[in-house]
Amino acid sequence: MFEPMDDAIERIARHLRRPVHIDPALDGRVMREITALPARAGARSLGAAWRWVRRPRQFTLTPLGGLAAAAALATVVVLSRMDSGSSVPPPAESRVFQFVLVAPRATQVSLVGDFNDWDATRTPMRRARSEALWTAVVPLTPGRYHYAFLVDGSRWMADPTAPVARDEDYGTPSSVLTVGGGGS
Amino acid sequence: MGIHSVGTSDAALVRRVQAGDTGAYADLVGRYRDRLGRYALHMLGNREDAEEVLQDAFVRAYRSLARCDDPERFGAWLYGILVNRCRTAGARAARRARRFVHDPAALETAPLAGPDERTEWDDMVRWALARLPPESREAFLLKHVEDLEYEDMARLTGAGVSALKMRVKRAREQLQVMLKEAERV
Repeated sequence: MFEPMDDAIERIARHLRRPVHIDPALDGRVMREITALPARAGARSLGAAWRWVRRPRQFTLTPLGGLAAAAALATVVVLSRMDSGSSVPPPAESRVFQFVLVAPRATQVSLVGDFNDWDATRTPMRRARSEALWTAVVPLTPGRYHYAFLVDGSRWMADPTAPVARDEDYGTPSSVLTVGGGGS
Repeated sequence: MGIHSVGTSDAALVRRVQAGDTGAYADLVGRYRDRLGRYALHMLGNREDAEEVLQDAFVRAYRSLARCDDPERFGAWLYGILVNRCRTAGARAARRARRFVHDPAALETAPLAGPDERTEWDDMVRWALARLPPESREAFLLKHVEDLEYEDMARLTGAGVSALKMRVKRAREQLQVMLKEAERV
Protein backbone atom coordinates (compact mmCIF):
# COMPACT_ATOMS: atom_id res chain seq x y z
CA MET A 1 0.00 0.00 0.00
CA PHE A 2 1.50 3.33 -1.02
CA GLU A 3 0.65 6.66 0.56
CA PRO A 4 2.26 10.01 -0.20
CA MET A 5 4.44 11.11 2.69
CA ASP A 6 2.19 13.90 3.88
CA ASP A 7 -0.87 11.66 3.93
CA ALA A 8 0.93 9.05 6.02
CA ILE A 9 2.18 11.65 8.49
CA GLU A 10 -1.22 13.30 8.66
CA ARG A 11 -2.78 9.91 9.38
CA ILE A 12 -0.33 9.33 12.23
CA ALA A 13 -0.94 12.79 13.64
CA ARG A 14 -4.72 12.32 13.44
CA HIS A 15 -4.36 9.03 15.28
CA LEU A 16 -2.23 10.59 18.01
CA ARG A 17 -4.58 13.57 18.38
CA ARG A 18 -7.39 11.33 19.59
CA PRO A 19 -8.44 12.20 23.16
CA VAL A 20 -6.67 10.32 25.91
CA HIS A 21 -8.44 9.75 29.20
CA ILE A 22 -6.29 9.84 32.31
CA ASP A 23 -7.68 8.32 35.50
CA PRO A 24 -9.56 11.17 37.28
CA ALA A 25 -8.26 9.72 40.56
CA LEU A 26 -5.05 11.57 39.65
CA ASP A 27 -6.77 14.82 40.73
CA GLY A 28 -7.19 13.45 44.24
CA ARG A 29 -3.59 12.24 44.37
CA VAL A 30 -2.33 15.67 43.30
CA MET A 31 -4.51 17.42 45.88
CA ARG A 32 -3.43 15.02 48.63
CA GLU A 33 0.22 15.65 47.78
CA ILE A 34 -0.35 19.38 47.76
CA THR A 35 -2.12 19.18 51.09
CA ALA A 36 0.92 17.44 52.54
CA LEU A 37 3.23 20.26 51.41
CA PRO A 38 4.31 22.96 53.85
CA ALA A 39 1.76 25.77 53.63
CA ARG A 40 2.83 28.19 50.94
CA ALA A 41 0.19 30.79 51.59
CA GLY A 42 -0.66 30.23 55.20
CA ALA A 43 -2.82 27.71 56.96
CA ARG A 44 -5.86 28.67 54.95
CA SER A 45 -4.31 26.94 51.88
CA LEU A 46 -4.26 23.64 53.68
CA GLY A 47 -7.74 24.26 54.94
CA ALA A 48 -9.02 24.93 51.44
CA ALA A 49 -7.41 21.78 50.03
CA TRP A 50 -8.75 19.71 52.87
CA ARG A 51 -12.20 21.22 52.33
CA TRP A 52 -11.93 20.25 48.64
CA VAL A 53 -11.10 16.66 49.55
CA ARG A 54 -13.93 16.45 52.06
CA ARG A 55 -16.46 18.56 50.14
CA PRO A 56 -19.81 16.70 49.92
CA ARG A 57 -20.74 15.93 46.34
CA GLN A 58 -24.01 14.76 44.86
CA PHE A 59 -23.89 12.16 42.09
CA THR A 60 -26.61 10.60 40.00
CA LEU A 61 -25.57 7.11 38.98
CA THR A 62 -27.09 4.68 36.56
CA PRO A 63 -26.60 0.99 37.50
CA LEU A 64 -23.69 0.84 35.02
CA GLY A 65 -22.29 4.06 36.43
CA GLY A 66 -22.49 2.56 39.91
CA LEU A 67 -20.34 -0.34 38.83
CA ALA A 68 -17.80 2.03 37.28
CA ALA A 69 -17.72 4.11 40.47
CA ALA A 70 -17.13 0.99 42.54
CA ALA A 71 -14.25 -0.01 40.26
CA ALA A 72 -12.77 3.48 40.51
CA LEU A 73 -12.98 3.37 44.27
CA ALA A 74 -11.18 0.08 44.37
CA THR A 75 -8.48 1.59 42.17
CA VAL A 76 -8.08 4.55 44.48
CA VAL A 77 -7.76 2.29 47.50
CA VAL A 78 -5.12 0.19 45.83
CA LEU A 79 -3.22 3.22 44.58
CA SER A 80 -3.44 4.81 47.97
CA ARG A 81 -1.87 1.78 49.57
CA MET A 82 0.81 1.70 46.92
CA ASP A 83 1.44 5.39 47.34
CA SER A 84 1.87 5.02 51.06
CA GLY A 85 4.36 2.25 50.43
CA SER A 86 6.33 4.17 47.84
CA SER A 87 6.35 7.42 49.81
CA VAL A 88 9.27 6.10 51.82
CA PRO A 89 12.37 7.42 50.04
CA PRO A 90 14.51 4.61 48.69
CA PRO A 91 17.73 4.12 50.64
CA ALA A 92 20.92 5.64 49.28
CA GLU A 93 22.73 3.50 46.68
CA SER A 94 19.49 1.75 45.74
CA ARG A 95 18.69 1.03 42.11
CA VAL A 96 15.23 0.64 40.70
CA PHE A 97 14.27 -2.69 39.16
CA GLN A 98 11.16 -3.32 37.15
CA PHE A 99 9.82 -6.85 37.34
CA VAL A 100 7.57 -7.92 34.51
CA LEU A 101 5.44 -11.05 34.37
CA VAL A 102 3.55 -12.31 31.34
CA ALA A 103 0.37 -13.87 32.68
CA PRO A 104 -2.72 -13.02 30.62
CA ARG A 105 -5.06 -15.27 32.58
CA ALA A 106 -4.06 -14.12 36.05
CA THR A 107 -6.46 -11.98 38.05
CA GLN A 108 -3.91 -10.84 40.61
CA VAL A 109 -0.16 -11.13 40.97
CA SER A 110 2.16 -10.21 43.81
CA LEU A 111 5.92 -9.91 43.84
CA VAL A 112 7.34 -11.50 46.97
CA GLY A 113 10.91 -11.80 48.15
CA ASP A 114 13.52 -11.02 50.74
CA PHE A 115 13.03 -7.31 50.04
CA ASN A 116 9.43 -7.32 51.32
CA ASP A 117 9.61 -10.15 53.87
CA TRP A 118 7.70 -12.39 51.44
CA ASP A 119 4.56 -10.46 52.27
CA ALA A 120 2.14 -10.85 49.36
CA THR A 121 0.27 -7.71 50.32
CA ARG A 122 3.22 -5.35 50.10
CA THR A 123 4.11 -5.41 46.41
CA PRO A 124 1.04 -6.07 44.29
CA MET A 125 1.91 -6.05 40.60
CA ARG A 126 -0.02 -3.79 38.26
CA ARG A 127 -1.58 -4.98 35.04
CA ALA A 128 -0.16 -3.09 32.07
CA ARG A 129 -2.22 -1.78 29.22
CA SER A 130 -1.69 -4.91 27.16
CA GLU A 131 -3.45 -6.86 29.94
CA ALA A 132 -1.00 -9.73 29.56
CA LEU A 133 1.80 -7.96 31.38
CA TRP A 134 2.07 -7.39 35.11
CA THR A 135 4.69 -5.00 36.43
CA ALA A 136 6.14 -3.88 39.73
CA VAL A 137 8.97 -1.47 40.42
CA VAL A 138 11.15 -2.04 43.47
CA PRO A 139 14.20 -0.09 44.69
CA LEU A 140 16.94 -2.46 45.82
CA THR A 141 20.23 -1.82 47.55
CA PRO A 142 23.24 -3.96 46.64
CA GLY A 143 22.81 -7.51 47.88
CA ARG A 144 21.46 -10.95 47.04
CA TYR A 145 17.72 -11.47 47.00
CA HIS A 146 15.46 -14.49 46.65
CA TYR A 147 12.14 -13.71 44.99
CA ALA A 148 9.14 -15.27 43.30
CA PHE A 149 5.72 -14.40 41.92
CA LEU A 150 2.49 -15.35 43.62
CA VAL A 151 -0.24 -15.69 41.01
CA ASP A 152 -3.89 -15.55 42.06
CA GLY A 153 -2.90 -15.98 45.66
CA SER A 154 -1.85 -19.62 45.37
CA ARG A 155 0.45 -20.34 42.44
CA TRP A 156 4.16 -19.74 43.02
CA MET A 157 6.36 -19.02 40.03
CA ALA A 158 10.11 -18.66 39.82
CA ASP A 159 11.82 -16.59 37.16
CA PRO A 160 12.93 -19.03 34.42
CA THR A 161 15.49 -16.55 33.15
CA ALA A 162 17.19 -16.16 36.53
CA PRO A 163 19.22 -18.59 38.63
CA VAL A 164 17.01 -20.92 40.65
CA ALA A 165 17.33 -20.68 44.42
CA ARG A 166 18.05 -23.76 46.48
CA ASP A 167 15.14 -23.39 48.81
CA GLU A 168 14.73 -26.63 50.69
CA ASP A 169 13.21 -24.78 53.62
CA TYR A 170 9.99 -23.86 51.92
CA GLY A 171 9.69 -26.23 48.99
CA THR A 172 8.46 -23.50 46.66
CA PRO A 173 10.23 -22.30 43.52
CA SER A 174 12.11 -19.03 43.75
CA SER A 175 14.86 -17.18 41.93
CA VAL A 176 17.94 -15.23 42.87
CA LEU A 177 18.78 -11.68 41.95
CA THR A 178 22.16 -10.22 42.79
CA VAL A 179 22.42 -6.44 42.79
CA GLY A 180 25.95 -5.19 42.51
CA GLY A 181 27.29 -1.98 43.94
CA GLY A 182 28.26 -0.39 40.64
CA GLY A 183 26.01 -2.39 38.31
CA SER A 184 24.38 -5.82 38.26
CA MET B 1 -0.67 27.80 22.05
CA GLY B 2 -3.09 25.02 21.32
CA ILE B 3 -4.50 25.08 24.83
CA HIS B 4 -7.78 26.82 25.41
CA SER B 5 -9.70 27.85 28.47
CA VAL B 6 -13.35 27.09 29.14
CA GLY B 7 -15.62 28.56 31.81
CA THR B 8 -13.72 30.39 34.55
CA SER B 9 -10.48 31.62 33.04
CA ASP B 10 -7.17 30.05 33.94
CA ALA B 11 -6.00 33.42 35.17
CA ALA B 12 -8.92 33.73 37.60
CA LEU B 13 -8.26 30.25 38.98
CA VAL B 14 -4.53 30.89 39.28
CA ARG B 15 -5.16 34.11 41.19
CA ARG B 16 -7.54 32.30 43.55
CA VAL B 17 -4.87 29.68 44.26
CA GLN B 18 -2.24 32.36 44.74
CA ALA B 19 -4.59 34.07 47.20
CA GLY B 20 -4.80 30.90 49.27
CA ASP B 21 -7.75 28.98 47.77
CA THR B 22 -5.84 25.76 47.15
CA GLY B 23 -9.06 23.98 46.27
CA ALA B 24 -9.26 26.03 43.07
CA TYR B 25 -6.16 24.19 41.87
CA ALA B 26 -8.28 21.06 41.49
CA ASP B 27 -10.19 22.82 38.72
CA LEU B 28 -6.94 23.53 36.88
CA VAL B 29 -5.81 19.92 37.31
CA GLY B 30 -9.11 18.62 35.96
CA ARG B 31 -8.95 21.05 33.06
CA TYR B 32 -5.50 20.02 31.88
CA ARG B 33 -5.33 16.38 33.01
CA ASP B 34 -6.30 14.66 29.76
CA ARG B 35 -4.64 17.13 27.42
CA LEU B 36 -1.26 17.01 29.12
CA GLY B 37 -1.69 13.30 29.79
CA ARG B 38 -1.88 12.68 26.06
CA TYR B 39 1.48 14.32 25.46
CA ALA B 40 3.10 12.45 28.38
CA LEU B 41 1.64 9.15 27.22
CA HIS B 42 2.87 9.55 23.65
CA MET B 43 6.24 10.85 24.80
CA LEU B 44 6.91 8.09 27.33
CA GLY B 45 4.93 5.26 25.73
CA ASN B 46 3.76 3.97 29.09
CA ARG B 47 0.61 4.96 30.98
CA GLU B 48 2.05 4.32 34.43
CA ASP B 49 5.08 6.53 33.76
CA ALA B 50 2.90 9.15 32.08
CA GLU B 51 0.58 9.44 35.09
CA GLU B 52 3.52 9.63 37.47
CA VAL B 53 5.13 12.42 35.44
CA LEU B 54 1.83 14.23 35.08
CA GLN B 55 1.22 14.16 38.83
CA ASP B 56 4.75 15.38 39.43
CA ALA B 57 4.29 18.22 36.93
CA PHE B 58 1.06 19.37 38.57
CA VAL B 59 2.64 19.34 42.03
CA ARG B 60 5.76 21.18 40.83
CA ALA B 61 3.60 23.75 39.07
CA TYR B 62 1.66 24.33 42.28
CA ARG B 63 4.85 24.79 44.28
CA SER B 64 6.17 27.29 41.72
CA LEU B 65 2.92 29.08 41.05
CA ALA B 66 4.30 32.31 42.49
CA ARG B 67 6.74 32.28 39.56
CA CYS B 68 3.95 32.10 36.98
CA ASP B 69 4.32 35.68 35.81
CA ASP B 70 1.47 35.62 33.34
CA PRO B 71 -1.56 33.71 34.72
CA GLU B 72 -3.27 34.18 31.35
CA ARG B 73 -0.66 31.83 29.91
CA PHE B 74 -0.83 29.27 32.72
CA GLY B 75 -1.44 26.47 30.19
CA ALA B 76 1.74 27.22 28.25
CA TRP B 77 3.72 27.58 31.47
CA LEU B 78 2.40 24.27 32.80
CA TYR B 79 3.17 22.65 29.46
CA GLY B 80 6.79 23.72 29.76
CA ILE B 81 7.07 22.03 33.15
CA LEU B 82 5.60 18.83 31.74
CA VAL B 83 7.95 18.81 28.75
CA ASN B 84 10.92 19.05 31.12
CA ARG B 85 9.60 16.33 33.43
CA CYS B 86 9.08 14.03 30.42
CA ARG B 87 12.68 14.59 29.37
CA THR B 88 13.92 13.69 32.84
CA ALA B 89 11.66 10.65 33.10
CA GLY B 90 12.67 9.47 29.63
CA ALA B 91 16.34 9.61 30.55
CA ARG B 92 15.66 7.81 33.83
CA ALA B 93 13.65 5.08 32.09
CA ALA B 94 16.53 4.48 29.71
CA ARG B 95 18.82 3.84 32.66
CA ARG B 96 16.36 1.74 34.62
CA ALA B 97 17.28 -1.91 34.91
CA ARG B 98 14.54 -4.16 33.59
CA ARG B 99 13.83 -7.76 34.34
CA PHE B 100 11.52 -9.72 32.12
CA VAL B 101 9.87 -12.90 33.18
CA HIS B 102 8.35 -15.28 30.74
CA ASP B 103 5.47 -17.65 31.44
CA PRO B 104 5.52 -20.10 28.49
CA ALA B 105 2.37 -21.89 29.67
CA ALA B 106 0.46 -18.67 29.84
CA LEU B 107 1.70 -17.57 26.43
CA GLU B 108 0.56 -20.80 24.83
CA THR B 109 -2.98 -20.22 25.99
CA ALA B 110 -3.03 -16.49 25.29
CA PRO B 111 -5.47 -15.50 22.57
CA LEU B 112 -3.85 -14.52 19.29
CA ALA B 113 -4.34 -10.99 18.08
CA GLY B 114 -7.28 -10.81 15.73
CA PRO B 115 -7.29 -9.03 12.39
CA ASP B 116 -8.23 -5.76 14.03
CA GLU B 117 -6.73 -3.15 11.73
CA ARG B 118 -7.26 -0.37 14.23
CA THR B 119 -5.24 -2.19 16.88
CA GLU B 120 -2.55 -3.06 14.36
CA TRP B 121 -2.31 0.57 13.28
CA ASP B 122 -2.19 1.72 16.90
CA ASP B 123 0.59 -0.76 17.66
CA MET B 124 2.48 0.29 14.55
CA VAL B 125 2.27 3.99 15.39
CA ARG B 126 3.37 3.43 18.98
CA TRP B 127 6.18 1.18 17.80
CA ALA B 128 7.42 3.77 15.33
CA LEU B 129 7.05 6.67 17.75
CA ALA B 130 9.02 4.84 20.43
CA ARG B 131 11.91 4.38 18.02
CA LEU B 132 12.33 8.04 17.27
CA PRO B 133 15.13 9.81 19.15
CA PRO B 134 13.56 11.66 22.12
CA GLU B 135 14.30 15.10 20.67
CA SER B 136 12.63 14.18 17.38
CA ARG B 137 9.66 12.58 19.11
CA GLU B 138 9.24 15.66 21.28
CA ALA B 139 9.38 18.02 18.30
CA PHE B 140 7.01 15.89 16.22
CA LEU B 141 4.41 15.65 18.99
CA LEU B 142 4.54 19.36 19.80
CA LYS B 143 4.24 20.35 16.14
CA HIS B 144 1.87 17.80 14.63
CA VAL B 145 -0.15 16.55 17.60
CA GLU B 146 -0.27 19.52 19.96
CA ASP B 147 -0.36 21.88 16.99
CA LEU B 148 2.07 24.45 18.37
CA GLU B 149 3.85 27.15 16.40
CA TYR B 150 7.63 26.86 16.15
CA GLU B 151 8.06 30.01 18.23
CA ASP B 152 6.02 28.47 21.07
CA MET B 153 7.95 25.22 20.74
CA ALA B 154 11.21 27.16 21.01
CA ARG B 155 10.01 28.81 24.23
CA LEU B 156 8.99 25.44 25.68
CA THR B 157 12.04 23.45 24.73
CA GLY B 158 14.81 26.02 24.74
CA ALA B 159 15.86 24.90 21.26
CA GLY B 160 16.13 27.22 18.29
CA VAL B 161 13.45 27.37 15.61
CA SER B 162 15.82 26.07 12.93
CA ALA B 163 16.84 23.10 15.07
CA LEU B 164 13.20 22.31 15.80
CA LYS B 165 12.28 22.44 12.12
CA MET B 166 15.11 20.03 11.40
CA ARG B 167 13.98 17.65 14.16
CA VAL B 168 10.41 17.65 12.86
CA LYS B 169 11.63 17.02 9.31
CA ARG B 170 13.81 14.11 10.46
CA ALA B 171 10.98 12.69 12.53
CA ARG B 172 8.64 12.74 9.54
CA GLU B 173 11.23 11.04 7.34
CA GLN B 174 12.02 8.39 9.93
CA LEU B 175 8.36 7.68 10.59
CA GLN B 176 7.69 7.27 6.91
CA VAL B 177 10.59 4.83 6.52
CA MET B 178 9.52 2.81 9.56
CA LEU B 179 5.92 2.60 8.43
CA LYS B 180 6.97 1.43 4.98
CA GLU B 181 9.14 -1.26 6.59
CA ALA B 182 6.28 -2.33 8.86
CA GLU B 183 3.86 -2.57 5.96
CA ARG B 184 6.25 -4.83 4.04
CA VAL B 185 6.32 -7.39 6.89
